[in-house]
Amino acid sequence: MNDNTMSIPHLIMSASTVVQLVMLILVIGSILSWVIIFQRGIALRRAKQEYNQFEETFWSGVDLNELYREIPADEPRHGAEHIFQVGFREFNRLAAKTRQADTVLAGVQRSMRVAWSREEERLTQHLVVLATVASVSPYIGLFGTVWGIMGSFQSLSLTQQATLATVAPWIAEALIATAMGLFAAIPAVIFYNRYANMSARLLGKYENFAEEFHAILHRNLQGRDATPPAR
Amino acid sequence: MALKPFHDPQDVGYRWPTVLAVLLHVGILVASLITLPSRTAEPDSSSIVQATWVSTETFTDQAQQVNDQQAALNASSEPPPEPDTQAAEQAEQAERAAQQAAEAEQARQQAAERAEAEAQALRDAEAQAQAEARRRSEEAAAAEAAARAAETQREAEAEAQRQRQREAEAEAQRQREAEAEAQRQREAEAEAQRQREAEAEAQRQREAEAEAQRQREAEAEAQRQREAEAEAQRQREAEAEAQRQREAEAQRQREAEAEAQRQREAAEAAMQRQLAGEAEAAANAQQAQQAANSFINIVRRAVEQAWIIPPGSGNNMSATIQVRLGPSGEVLATSVASSSGDSAFDRSAMQAVEQAAPFSELRDLPSDQQRNLRQFNLRFTPGDVR
Repeated sequence: MNDNTMSIPHLIMSASTVVQLVMLILVIGSILSWVIIFQRGIALRRAKQEYNQFEETFWSGVDLNELYREIPADEPRHGAEHIFQVGFREFNRLAAKTRQADTVLAGVQRSMRVAWSREEERLTQHLVVLATVASVSPYIGLFGTVWGIMGSFQSLSLTQQATLATVAPWIAEALIATAMGLFAAIPAVIFYNRYANMSARLLGKYENFAEEFHAILHRNLQGRDATPPAR
Repeated sequence: MALKPFHDPQDVGYRWPTVLAVLLHVGILVASLITLPSRTAEPDSSSIVQATWVSTETFTDQAQQVNDQQAALNASSEPPPEPDTQAAEQAEQAERAAQQAAEAEQARQQAAERAEAEAQALRDAEAQAQAEARRRSEEAAAAEAAARAAETQREAEAEAQRQRQREAEAEAQRQREAEAEAQRQREAEAEAQRQREAEAEAQRQREAEAEAQRQREAEAEAQRQREAEAEAQRQREAEAEAQRQREAEAQRQREAEAEAQRQREAAEAAMQRQLAGEAEAAANAQQAQQAANSFINIVRRAVEQAWIIPPGSGNNMSATIQVRLGPSGEVLATSVASSSGDSAFDRSAMQAVEQAAPFSELRDLPSDQQRNLRQFNLRFTPGDVR
């Protein structure tokens, strides 16, 4: 009988409504955080692989026009590929309209910055949820524990004899809330830090790529400026 | 690049992550359920502690301690019989030793008796030998006397013969005279012979006397030696006796000391027991007091909750109600011990007691406490029930 009353499912079932609600929130938060952990983990790994692939192709000496043409325009691209596509498209459009190199480069830089910012948003997507679960769930669990202990003391005041047997189940069920909060929070904190670091590094690589691409275009324009007087 | 799939690989769907997350949680839940029975079995043993009163525990503890002390004391007071038995064994040993000593003494006495008897026998034998010697000498003397008598007779006969010969051959027979002369010579010779014999006899007698003297001297010497031996024996015995007495004295002293020690220990143990008993009594009294107090408190609280203070009763009014309880805590009788002057107030107090009854907690108390608490007074003052 005793181990039945002290088992975790029994404790959860016999807890007060507020504590049960808290536990439900914590379970949902935990599941949510794990969904995001898995989803982000897969997405970031793929993004990294794709970037490595694209960088290899880009620096393999292939013609930029060819590379651009190989990317289908209707299909949205991501990462460094996306930045390259947007930048090169803008370069082509502007170069056709104006001969001023500064205007072309400014337009290219702007469009690439926009693309980079979209990439940043895409990569850090949902990481906020993870951060929220990590920082809030211990407090929610603590709230459940405090509430449960309050209930236990209230029930304690009604009994004539204060024994451990009357207090123990209350405290145990109250502490389960804290345990669940920590259970949800700890993986969320760990993976939030890990994924934030991964995405920051990836974004840094994108930025580097954008600058390099910008330098290439700039070199190209300088060469074109120099050629017309020669023509 | 042309081989890229139509679907963008970076657009990860949420179906698989959700499935994975739910599976993870279900797995953790199942793991906790599976491992729980073995974990919850352990706290079972600690649940025994839950039922004990914290406040009572200290007192029972004290009483137990006292009990333990007393038990220890009893245990320690039990061993003294062992020393007793040891002492008895010692005494027995001493007795055995004394018995052995007595036996030895007896043996010595017997030996002494035997020696005495032997000496007696020796002395008897000696006396016999002396008597025999005397007899021999007497016999010798008698023989001598007989010989002398015979000689004289023979002489007389020879004289007569010579007379007769002289008378018969009176006329002259010179040859016969010569013969007679020869005869005289022979006689003289015989005389000499006799004298020599007598001398030899005397010599023998002297020798026998000297022999007897020597024997007597040897006897006296032996006697002296025996006496000296007996004296030494007596001295030794006296010494042994003194030794035994000293030992017995020491033994008595040791026994007396052990006895005194035992008495001291017993007195000490008795005192300690008494002290422990007092401590226990104090602890029991305290415990009983505690129990009584808790009971009184329970009764007070119950009565307080049941008391409907009549309106208009002053704060300084007070009524004392005497309550008599049955053995199971039911109220047998209530009576007003000292009235407040307001009958409604007194009635409300009595009703409160009857409302609060029965006080079944009375049965939880020890029986002697129950008897004390069967009758008590409750003083009622508004705002504070005593």
